[in-house]
Amino acid sequence: MNLSQQAEIFERARTKYTKFLVSVLWKLTGDRELFTEAMQYALLGMWQHVGKLNGKKAHAYIYRIALSANSKAWRNRIGRNGELNPNHIDCQENPDEKPDRDELATLVRREICQLPTKQAKAIVMRYLEQQDYQTIAGKLSCTEASVRSHVSKAMATLKNKLAALALQEL
Amino acid sequence: MNSERIEEILKNIGNNDVPADVHKIAEDVSNDFSRNLTQSRQPRYIVLGDYIMKSRFTKLAAAAAVIILVVLVGLPFVGNKGPGVVLADVLAKVEQAQAFMYKMKMNMTGNMQPGAPSGATDMAGTILISNEYGMKMDMDMNTVVNDASQTMRQLMYILPEEKKIYMIMPEQKQYIQMEFDESLLERIKKQSNDPRDMLKQILNSKYTNIGKSEIDGVEVEGFETTDPALASGMMEDVKVILWVDRKTELPVREEMHYKMNEQMQIEGELYDFQWYVQVNADEFKPVIPQDYTTILPGGYKLPSANEEGAIEGLRFCEQLLGRYPKKIDMMNLMNEIVAIKDVNNPTEAALKLKEVIRDDMNNLPEEEQAKKIMDVMRPVQSLGMFYMALVQDKKEPVYYGESVEPEDAGAILLRWKISDDRYRIIFGDLKTMDVSAEELAELETLQPK
Repeated sequence: MNLSQQAEIFERARTKYTKFLVSVLWKLTGDRELFTEAMQYALLGMWQHVGKLNGKKAHAYIYRIALSANSKAWRNRIGRNGELNPNHIDCQENPDEKPDRDELATLVRREICQLPTKQAKAIVMRYLEQQDYQTIAGKLSCTEASVRSHVSKAMATLKNKLAALALQEL
Repeated sequence: MNSERIEEILKNIGNNDVPADVHKIAEDVSNDFSRNLTQSRQPRYIVLGDYIMKSRFTKLAAAAAVIILVVLVGLPFVGNKGPGVVLADVLAKVEQAQAFMYKMKMNMTGNMQPGAPSGATDMAGTILISNEYGMKMDMDMNTVVNDASQTMRQLMYILPEEKKIYMIMPEQKQYIQMEFDESLLERIKKQSNDPRDMLKQILNSKYTNIGKSEIDGVEVEGFETTDPALASGMMEDVKVILWVDRKTELPVREEMHYKMNEQMQIEGELYDFQWYVQVNADEFKPVIPQDYTTILPGGYKLPSANEEGAIEGLRFCEQLLGRYPKKIDMMNLMNEIVAIKDVNNPTEAALKLKEVIRDDMNNLPEEEQAKKIMDVMRPVQSLGMFYMALVQDKKEPVYYGESVEPEDAGAILLRWKISDDRYRIIFGDLKTMDVSAEELAELETLQPK
């Protein structure tokens, strides 16, 4: 594939998936700076793997790109020590929400970025995009039981991580 | 926390609509990315500029560089005693101060590199200076790019005795340690030691008395200069106004206006001077908690501002660009180097450098990527700093990078004054020689046009 073809496919994919990326990355970041960084990583990922955005599995691949971009952005934010800088939390999606809810949402988002890819995909599709199990199974090319398993494992991981964090605070 | 609660939080997150301004951010980011592709069609080779702009660590390192730039630009002021009446008296007064402090606020707009997103940075803070211990700056920076704002507090210590600079970022729990050599030590001593040097430099420039005014109820007298040397040769348009208390003959405020074409503007103010303060050694000891990590592992050695470093920088640029840089003031020089990412026919050295950096970068943690970028750029910085020093010291440097090629072995590439009637020359083949004023005049008639 030459550069012109690569650019053409990229532009098509950009047009097609920008709305999806914006929606998913905003939900996963909830913070303008993080979102900007994740969006940059996602576009870079699309360019680097543009060949995979031209086939049947394009829609599944775009999830992978989005989740990878989100993880990179969060990894930059969290840093090596695993601690989140409270000054960077910018959860203003709903000013009426209580502060503790914002904090919990941020913690949940932070933990999602550390989930294994399949679990993260399943959680995003199930809860952030509110798709049913059958649809998710179709998109992920697996059985409904597998999707339920991924979601269940992800929920267990999130529960344990958040419980551990709550203990630390005590 | 139970599963139902987590489920509820997840559903709430899922129900969040994307705010309008986030759509705008996304559109800008997406269009910028696409535009870069259209312009260069070589995104695989966008290495230096990309890493510099994207990496969080290099952003911090860049912020460090900005602070250093501010130190070099904002507090500058070197030179020999020149003529002057009122300002000379002011200088005599402030030279008695062993330690003093003042506040600074500064606004920078534009972009430091072509292709970088335009933004604005506001800085405000306090500077404490001691003849005995060094300098301590406590700055708050707020940067806005693409409507996204980032704040950062930075504590900077310049410790001449240790020849070290520490920059500590408490919110990020990170720090940078930098070392400097003798050539830079002398410069830092001159530049950051105190606004007395500002006075010396104004005295040494063509300044005008702009008359009386009043600041916070204090009757002041203003002195204005537009000498580019005040911005270390880094800015093209310079205006500095110093306001002096007519009664105490001590500086009250310094206003700075710098402009680099349309690309970057700096507006700044030094104010609230306290000229005689008590300090103790502990105030100048950097406190770095154990859980802080360094952005540049192993520390970072600041570039030398000497002739040797400048020649190394010219050689590096020649290999990278296939010619010498057109200008060697810091801003233009850095812009020219970073712009290699957009060059259609890069030199072999540039391609090789990009490949090496790209391959290495993939295997390095981000902290080390930042260090690598800074190491790669060190010769370029040395060149820019050497030229800056020549401008500041009024050694009348003239650089012929626009007309002299590496093949022009006998042509003058850079020359500067070393005494009343002697000049030092770096030729096109990077050899050096001292000549008399007459010999220089003769050589300059032979310059390629």
